[in-house]
Amino acid sequence: MAEEFASAPHFVGARIPRTEDSRLLRGEAQYLDDIQIPNLLEMAFVRSPYAAARILSVDSSAAWNIPGVRAVFTFADMPFVLPQNGPSPIDQPVLARERVRHAGEAVVAVVAESRYIAEDACEAVHVAYTPEEPVLDMQAAQKDRPRRVHDAAPNVFYHQEYETEGFQAAFDTAPHRLTMTFQTTRQTACSLETRGIIAAADPFSGRMTVYCGTQSPHRLRGDLAEMLQMEEHLLRVIVPEVGGAFGMKAATYPEYLAVVQAARLLRQPVKWTADRVESFLSDVHARDDIHDLEVAFDQRGQIIAVKDHLMADGGAYASYPFSGAIGETSLAAKVITGPYDIAHLSTVIDCTYSNKVPLGAYRGVWGPVASFVQEGMVDRIAQFLHLDAAEVRRTNLVQPNQLPYRNAAGMLYDSGSFTESFEHALAQLDYTRWRATQEQARRVGKYLGIGLSNFVEPTAMASSEAGSIGYESCSVRVEPSGTVTAWLGLGPSGQGHETTMAQVLADQLGVDLEHIVVLHGDTDAAPLGGGTGGSRSGPLGGGAAMQAGRKMRERLDVYAAHMLEAAVEDIAWEHGRAHVRGVYARHVSLRDIARIAYNDVRQIPSGLPIGLEVTERYQPPRPVSFSNGTHAAVVEVNPSTGQVTVLDYVVVNDCGTLINPLIVEGQIHGGVAQGVGAALLESLVYDDSGQLLTTTLMDYLLPSAPLVPRMRIEHLVTPSDGALGVKGMGEGSLIASPAAIAGAVNDALSPWGVSFERLPIAPRDIVTSLGRSSAAPV
Amino acid sequence: MKPAHFEYFRAATIGEAVDKLGGDPEARLLAGGQSLIPAMNFRVARPSQLIDINGLEELKPLVARLPENILEVGALVRHQQIATSPLVQRYLPFMATVALSIGHWAIRSRGSVGGSLCHADPAAEWPAFMVAAGAEMVVAGPQKYRRIPADTFCSGFMETALGPGEMLVKIEIPLAQGGWGFWEVARRPGDFALAGAVCRRHHSRTTVTWFGADLSGPGTVTVESEGGAGHGTHFWEDAASRVLAVDDDYMLQILGYCADQACRQAQSDEGRDYDNR
Amino acid sequence: MTTVDIAFLLNGRPVSLSVEPRLLLSDALRHHLGMTSTHVGCEQGVCGVCTILLDGAPARSCLMLAVMADGRSVTTAEGLSDPLAEQLRDSFQEHHALQCGFCTPAMLLTAHCLLSAHPEAGESQIREALSGNLCRCTGYQFIIDAVSSLTERGGEGDASHG
Repeated sequence: MAEEFASAPHFVGARIPRTEDSRLLRGEAQYLDDIQIPNLLEMAFVRSPYAAARILSVDSSAAWNIPGVRAVFTFADMPFVLPQNGPSPIDQPVLARERVRHAGEAVVAVVAESRYIAEDACEAVHVAYTPEEPVLDMQAAQKDRPRRVHDAAPNVFYHQEYETEGFQAAFDTAPHRLTMTFQTTRQTACSLETRGIIAAADPFSGRMTVYCGTQSPHRLRGDLAEMLQMEEHLLRVIVPEVGGAFGMKAATYPEYLAVVQAARLLRQPVKWTADRVESFLSDVHARDDIHDLEVAFDQRGQIIAVKDHLMADGGAYASYPFSGAIGETSLAAKVITGPYDIAHLSTVIDCTYSNKVPLGAYRGVWGPVASFVQEGMVDRIAQFLHLDAAEVRRTNLVQPNQLPYRNAAGMLYDSGSFTESFEHALAQLDYTRWRATQEQARRVGKYLGIGLSNFVEPTAMASSEAGSIGYESCSVRVEPSGTVTAWLGLGPSGQGHETTMAQVLADQLGVDLEHIVVLHGDTDAAPLGGGTGGSRSGPLGGGAAMQAGRKMRERLDVYAAHMLEAAVEDIAWEHGRAHVRGVYARHVSLRDIARIAYNDVRQIPSGLPIGLEVTERYQPPRPVSFSNGTHAAVVEVNPSTGQVTVLDYVVVNDCGTLINPLIVEGQIHGGVAQGVGAALLESLVYDDSGQLLTTTLMDYLLPSAPLVPRMRIEHLVTPSDGALGVKGMGEGSLIASPAAIAGAVNDALSPWGVSFERLPIAPRDIVTSLGRSSAAPV
Repeated sequence: MKPAHFEYFRAATIGEAVDKLGGDPEARLLAGGQSLIPAMNFRVARPSQLIDINGLEELKPLVARLPENILEVGALVRHQQIATSPLVQRYLPFMATVALSIGHWAIRSRGSVGGSLCHADPAAEWPAFMVAAGAEMVVAGPQKYRRIPADTFCSGFMETALGPGEMLVKIEIPLAQGGWGFWEVARRPGDFALAGAVCRRHHSRTTVTWFGADLSGPGTVTVESEGGAGHGTHFWEDAASRVLAVDDDYMLQILGYCADQACRQAQSDEGRDYDNR
Repeated sequence: MTTVDIAFLLNGRPVSLSVEPRLLLSDALRHHLGMTSTHVGCEQGVCGVCTILLDGAPARSCLMLAVMADGRSVTTAEGLSDPLAEQLRDSFQEHHALQCGFCTPAMLLTAHCLLSAHPEAGESQIREALSGNLCRCTGYQFIIDAVSSLTERGGEGDASHG
């Protein structure tokens, strides 16, 4: 891939500490709620206490009488909706319209001089409801039982069927078949910074400036313009520092519309910051999948056919613009065979409405459940045939000579290292030794388990929760003094794009990192882009940076050749200086060139424009690029308490060219920690009346430092044929890890014949499943 | 999540605090605030008045009264103080172990022993420890001081034996001989325990005091036993099911497990020689 | 609205203000005193991003009323300026111990306290000390590495965790 670089790569591939860190470490970074604007009002919401109810009346007179209250809004005051496309479109109102459809749905918006007063006022608003029977079970909901969530549409809002040719015959004639049901409960991204938004008229231009921690600034601007019927060019979205997003902050939310509209109506700046309870009641939830699965296989464990009924509970509305239920199922159906060579597939998808919080994106979307299904299926087959779990994986893995490989769902795995990553992971883990240790441990009443998880990760797709822009843009300007400013339309929330994009540009331009600044998140400055989501920023943003950098470099080469009286091909760059290759004494600096380009314009080589500015858009050669890898976990389960300790954790990861291994490893660590949560801790629980019981961080358990294992990471590099050979990698670690940990728990409990098919696996589940005996049956 | 309005009063003496408390049934004392303030942030607790006792030096002693063989712990002594105090380390090191299992560092450095006892969360460690240790609570009331034995102090789910206008001033803990053990099971380190047990062994007497498991307060079982710790999980599980109002099999099992683990610790701890002997 | 006059040391400098009794210390620091590195994540004392040092010990500013800071000394990440603090910042950057950065100021404050009190801390002790500071991005490993590298053992010799 060396030819991808305009200069010899000094920066791409290097473990470079981030340029972002300084402001963050000094506490100087400004997150949404840190922004100070004079006369800023605060919004708070009266939220529905019922899962389903008719709104009879709203009495806000007492709220208006509280000093400091500036406005009380209902749907009548801001009759806007977030639209849904599709066969039976159901819009999501900004504030509840006649009915409430999930506990926590915003009914009334209060604006006051402080959040304290706004909360006082919310308590003073009296809403009368007639409760209705809630729809809470997704399988009953498919039959419109107990009723429809929306009168105007059946509960099933997305149904798809797919079958490979010859499926039935292959399935029927297979030597063995097993049936299993896999399930993940509701989980959520739970970024430590909650959502929030500020809308403030710009006093200089009269336009509306919107500050919001969104992953997709340009899309949010477009959405606000369209939904609130505003002129797009009179809106500016600025993304401040974002305290974690993980897909959840890609959506456009009703509260965003309410705040912008309130600022318009009141002609005063308005802010809303979610508190943690509101987060649980209004941030998109995720997962909530059921997979009814049948798998057919032969004596060696070779899988012949898979039949899967994929279901997801989409909640009360399809989250805008990305329905989590459709994402969870339709994408899972396309990669449910993972890195395994399975010829036949039959899938049926049903996504339903319910009286729960809308389902949206959370890192990995379809992936954690698909990996859990696919690895769980392989483990069950191994168990059934009394074969080693690793051996059955070897039997089924797509072989190197099969690549590029089209899976049974029609997805093309462009490249990968499936067998290699698996073998490396076994070696890294020392699989054989752990198996021996496991055996010894059992003899003294200790129960260890090994979990293996091979994953594929479709990245850089045209469409993701961030939007449907299959390209990314980058503007580069060499400033008159010779330093470089670049803008991208990305929406980072900790991924370090300011560093990685600068690394790409530095190699293209032959300048040092400290002379480049990468900006993002301001729609007034950044070229229109798709934002951050779906593991697209590295491959697409990196591609855009590469292309823009190269374009600029070509122009700089012409300058340098002209000034040094040399051929363009002979120009080389280092540290911001161009020289004639091999003759360091003859050089010009970027500063010299910039001076001519902006100030001494008569000296510009003929054919070149004035100035040094380019904007480039990069579209990858393929609609999707697959990363892959293997996770291996060793756990110990205490059968008396059900407590699980992760003893060892190995990751072999292949995301093509690494721009910055340090950042890649950080992403992997974080995803594995979230996988510990997904497998063992995190669950959003509703009661029978549709109340969300887990609305605090005492109930929704995030992994803490003592619970996350030390991870050992090995990188493999199978480049993509896109720019720089980079593939996306933000999600693979959370795609693979729940399956690895759950597999390890199941392996530990294999003496009891217990196998969990539902995530997360809680201590109580474990103890209960073992019956009254904490010692394994002999 | 912001507190509702309340009146704020900073007490200068115990008498002043008790007066204020007696005069307003909706008033609450503000000690470390680690349980009260989150409840107020949720607006679940809505006191009319907060009486801030953080300035009362009389509530802060941590002293060993050796002639009486008593460790005196003021109600406002913070958990982290117990965890790191050389005095506690010298005379009742087991108490430091218990303190370290409470919440996280930042919670321990504000939360007070007295606050925790008066909040009487069934999952809290101190009520069980105090029962196991045979401690006595010294309580100031509108008219007089009185003493309440630990085993009657926590009287129900988040209820104490404190009467109207009474406040906890200090706790007197006998510098007990024998071995101690402590075990708790929580989803994550530092979380409220699902269940836990404190075990004390002295001569042939083994006492287990349980907490958590949705109990109404700490439950105790005393076993007279010459045998070692080898009763095992099932023994304690059966004991728990007889003594405690718990019919949840999972909870019973971890109560049994915690008791067994605590007893093993207590047995190995019994041989240790403390300065107070 | 009755207010209470309070005065305390903030990052070594005396400040005084008049507050409603119900004002949380976290809000006072953030919105009245400009110390916005004190983040707010749950207002329940669980997540730890609002951690400050009160008289040198870690405390949750969301679980304190501003009036409770009267006469005390409060340190926020903005005020961490001794050599150890600078070493911690450098180490966090070098080890990539932060991503979104939201938990970072509180993480630095807790780590600073730990290293001051226990320069000999091993990995398990570091993990325990930081157990009340949640991070959703890093999986903690690089945070542990960043802190470990500043202990007396320099990150060597404690493989006990995991």
